[in-house]
Amino acid sequence: MNSYRNFLVAIFVAGMVLLGYVVPGMAHHASTPFYDPETVVELQGSVTRFVFRNPHAFLFLDVEDENGQVSEWQVELGAPVGLRRVGWTPDSLTVGTVVKLSGRKSRAEGSQGVCCVRMTREDDSPIVEGGGVREREQN
Amino acid sequence: MKLKTLKQMVIRFLVIGSIPLGMQLVAMGPESSAQGVDSHIPDLAGIWDGTPRSRPVNGERVPWGEENFPDLNARAKAYQEVWEEIMAPKYDCQPASSPAIQYDPYHMQVTQWPDRVLLRYEKDDQLRTIWLDGREPTSLDFSLQGFSRGYYEDGSLYVTTTHFVFDIAGFDDYNGIPSSSQKVVTERYWSEGEELNMTLTVEDPMFFNGPVSYTTRWLPAGEDYKLAAYGCDPEASRASVRFYPSKYD
Repeated sequence: MNSYRNFLVAIFVAGMVLLGYVVPGMAHHASTPFYDPETVVELQGSVTRFVFRNPHAFLFLDVEDENGQVSEWQVELGAPVGLRRVGWTPDSLTVGTVVKLSGRKSRAEGSQGVCCVRMTREDDSPIVEGGGVREREQN
Repeated sequence: MKLKTLKQMVIRFLVIGSIPLGMQLVAMGPESSAQGVDSHIPDLAGIWDGTPRSRPVNGERVPWGEENFPDLNARAKAYQEVWEEIMAPKYDCQPASSPAIQYDPYHMQVTQWPDRVLLRYEKDDQLRTIWLDGREPTSLDFSLQGFSRGYYEDGSLYVTTTHFVFDIAGFDDYNGIPSSSQKVVTERYWSEGEELNMTLTVEDPMFFNGPVSYTTRWLPAGEDYKLAAYGCDPEASRASVRFYPSKYD
């Protein structure tokens, strides 16, 4: 039963990756010690910095809360060595780009981190156009 | 298929050709005469894909799960008590080593020379040299990847690696299991159809009550795939550490 459920989840995730919405990960470390899978946050923010370096790419966002206060959130992405295979480059996200995402919130008290994200541009389009096509061509 | 046969012939030619050049491999024992004329030398060369396309991704229960989890001695359990995730030296870009690096979900390149096999890992830009010429390690050969010797037999490459340095997460950083300078890693590589297969065994009497093994596989990489430089960045490596609620704070 579990394996059937895992299979369905895998199919769903693979589909979303191919559509360019889920950012592929690459195991360097487990996410659960740092991020709580039970606490999902949804954010919209403006890119202030995109660090496209191994072992994990990071995205920094300015996010405005309901009181108009702006604070920084740090988004952990996959390894660039894997992201490149599906079409990502250091220029995929430029400063000022607005993105929308949902993902697991960081565990440390007061911290503002997210991982394992599903992310789009402001208009709901994928971050990397055609990334899935490039992945299929390589493999 | 024809190309593969040609590659095997070239390897055999190089091996046999090296003997008159003073390498005298045949005279050595099986531990060192990897390239004896009678040995069946498999063609393992190429770039191999170890990503989720080939196998499940590593984690707390992969590749060390219920069936093959090590029987830890009291010393190892004491280390586990002290351990927390952010102690792992990988957060300062220290490369992975055996038995983890083989299972990391990246590509690997195998190059076969007459006197050595080179294993180049995309993860952490690591290069292991498997010596086939019978040379012995010295006390200066301790390193993160250890000292590897190998031989071919019955279509497989057998590797034994010793001379590892102590590593607080040197067996498995998902479970906080260290490894010592007594760690011995043996590997058997063989090809089956299009796959590269490996069975790896670890012994470390400093921390384990017995040997443990896992078996895995790689698939051939895409036709034009080239290993990418990893270039671990210390800032990117530590960036998530501040999200960890340390038990020591």
